[in-house]
Amino acid sequence: MAKKTENSQKSVSSNKELTLADLPIGSSATIVKIIPNARGGKKFADVGLVPGTELVMESHAPFGGLIRVKVMETSMALHSDDAKNIVMKKESKK
Amino acid sequence: MKKKFKVALIGNPNCGKTSIFNMLTGARQHVGNYPGVTVESKAGSFTIGDAEIELIDLPGVYSLSSNSPEEDVAFNELTKAGIDLILNVIDSSIARRSLYLTTQLAELHIPMMLVFNMSDDAQKKGIKFNIEKLEKYFGSPIAQTVGRTSDGVRPLVEKLTVALENLENHGVPMLSYGSDIDDSIEAVAKKIDELKIERYAHIPSRFFAIKLLESDSCTMKIPELKSVMGEVAEQIKHLSDIHAIDDTTTFMADCRYAMLSGACRDAVMMTGERRREISDKIDAVMTNKFFGLPIFFLAMYITFWFTFTCADPVMGWIEEFFGWLADSVNAVWSEDTMPYLRSMITDGIIAGVGGVVVFLPNILFMFFAIAILEESGYMSRAAFVMDGLMRKFGLQGKSFVPLVLGFGCTVPAIMATRGIESERDRKTTIMVLPLMSCGARLPIYALLIPAFFAQKYQALMMWIIYLIGVIVALLAARLLKNTIFKGDGEVYLMELPPYRLPTLRSLLLHMWDKGKVYLQKAGTIILATSIILYIANTYPEKTEFSKDYDALTTQVEKSNIDKEKKEEALATLENEKMAESMEYTISGSVGKFLEPVFKPIGFDWKLTTATIGALAAKEVFVSQLGILYAEGEADEESDTLRQRLAKHYTPLQAFCMMLFALLSIPCFATLAIIKREMNSWKMMFAEAGILFALAYITTMLVYQVGSLLQIGTKIIGQ
Repeated sequence: MAKKTENSQKSVSSNKELTLADLPIGSSATIVKIIPNARGGKKFADVGLVPGTELVMESHAPFGGLIRVKVMETSMALHSDDAKNIVMKKESKK
Repeated sequence: MKKKFKVALIGNPNCGKTSIFNMLTGARQHVGNYPGVTVESKAGSFTIGDAEIELIDLPGVYSLSSNSPEEDVAFNELTKAGIDLILNVIDSSIARRSLYLTTQLAELHIPMMLVFNMSDDAQKKGIKFNIEKLEKYFGSPIAQTVGRTSDGVRPLVEKLTVALENLENHGVPMLSYGSDIDDSIEAVAKKIDELKIERYAHIPSRFFAIKLLESDSCTMKIPELKSVMGEVAEQIKHLSDIHAIDDTTTFMADCRYAMLSGACRDAVMMTGERRREISDKIDAVMTNKFFGLPIFFLAMYITFWFTFTCADPVMGWIEEFFGWLADSVNAVWSEDTMPYLRSMITDGIIAGVGGVVVFLPNILFMFFAIAILEESGYMSRAAFVMDGLMRKFGLQGKSFVPLVLGFGCTVPAIMATRGIESERDRKTTIMVLPLMSCGARLPIYALLIPAFFAQKYQALMMWIIYLIGVIVALLAARLLKNTIFKGDGEVYLMELPPYRLPTLRSLLLHMWDKGKVYLQKAGTIILATSIILYIANTYPEKTEFSKDYDALTTQVEKSNIDKEKKEEALATLENEKMAESMEYTISGSVGKFLEPVFKPIGFDWKLTTATIGALAAKEVFVSQLGILYAEGEADEESDTLRQRLAKHYTPLQAFCMMLFALLSIPCFATLAIIKREMNSWKMMFAEAGILFALAYITTMLVYQVGSLLQIGTKIIGQ
């Protein structure tokens, strides 16, 4: 899997942005925005996937498809296809 | 003080709501279904002093929107009139997320009480609450509980007593979405007020206004609110203009989280550092890329072993009990008074119902094992690990466990599909489940395989039969997903709750819930079919036989052969007589009548009646053949029956019998449960029709091609 580099922040086209699907395991990032009217947007918003929330990528399921993230201290599994609609920003503080 | 109260229990999934419910109501609960959906409805009752409290356990939801059938149910139940108090359970260790639902509940202006559950976990994590502040903010009293112990819920009972006495003057929440949004809410609320909707008179219009502004489909479906939609659209446009937002459906969600982080800032304190939880450590192994699958298969194997091996002795006791029951009835009830009724009760009802109740230990043990997997939190990990693989066949992670359980019994396996939220995935799973070879088909294979196949091929044959079932099921799932259940999958979102040690009490309650359903089935469907089959197998009675059996019997009795031979000869005569009467009964006539239909798949009239009888339960195939082949009491260990069968049929025909038994509908009970779980007669008949066609066509092809090529027309391997 291709890992995105840090400077994806000043993105020009949307496919250059760092999305939740690209987040490497073990790293954390903050939600910048959610692609408008993406499917399931409301469902995700209701569990706390809203701009400003910080989350941690926990693991990928075997055979691909599902990813597991920690959001608001809860582990949630969702599809990487849906995760592509969630645009992230890496925390610069370390 | 009023004597009767209706209290609704609600909270996020995995917040410990069920343990609170069990703790409060004990065994005084009843489980049902909400009409039209597959969401389980649960209610129970308990008393505090002389007040009788009806507690309604609503499904676990994250929000009061309409993202899922569960949320629809929660929405509808809460907006109905008559609820005196809402008991909102909150997982204290993740209070901020749990309170999201609370912000929406507070807008209903129904008296509410917050239950900060799992307060021991929160304490361990170093979380402290300013309860007074939170009580003021949400306008509701707060009880801190530990739902897993009876001591832990005492604060809840104490506070609840006070809350129920003060229902009239409950607090008002201080929820504000910010001035411009509140203005829009106000504008819409005003329009709703003008409508004066009677059935929602008890709910503030503000609640509906907020729901309409976030385009909640459940609220938009309320016909009375149609006329305000113009105003709503205008306000949405106004809001998105001033805030420059492009998705108003999630706008309110953003606001609520902002609101909560404000409220929690000085009310929820984190002291000490957040430790890496034990749960995460367990998961590093359990859902590991390499160990995840082997661990899952081991867990499934243990479940299987527990279900079948450990339940075995208990099944023996039940079998003995029914045998004893039939004997006692026969002993008390003399043969002269109403002999027909007497034999119908002992040979028909007791034998038939007993034959099914025998499987109760299997069902209970299986659900006990599943309850452990579920309540410990492992089930969602298993779904996570299996998802990718199952998706290749048009199923999903949560389909796997029910499919495996299908090797045991299709009925509880179908009940186990309730954990699958996606309606389409659930239906696909249910439709293919009967193809997993269930335990009741095993006696058929166990009877036929040793009769027709040499020792060295026996295990292989068994394996082939099971494999055919699995392959056909997976192919069928793919086919269904590409045809009637076509379309994009639903949005998948699943919580992986922290691992918890289940309490014995909740495991037993869970097990009993499922067991009850099974017993009800035995008392209704099975009871009816036992009577019908008994009648069909007994009447009309033959009075004139081809041989004079009575004379032959006396002849044998008088002859001078040794005792053993005499008994054998008598038994043979008895059995021949029975077979002849059998041919004369309704079953016999039906079998003869339908013989032409089953001829192309290699079945004669005897196999035909056995196949029809097997609709009640697959094991009946074996006992029916036993009767027809004049063996009297037969089971799959019966060697003489095997010899007779081997004389009458070819291995090809035997294979066809097994194939047909495998692919056709397992039993009426399966059909009944499919009807109930799919909530559709049409789907039930479709399923029965499709499976019959599949079984018939496949078996016919095998039989015809096999006959043509002379495969398996002689005993194989001898």
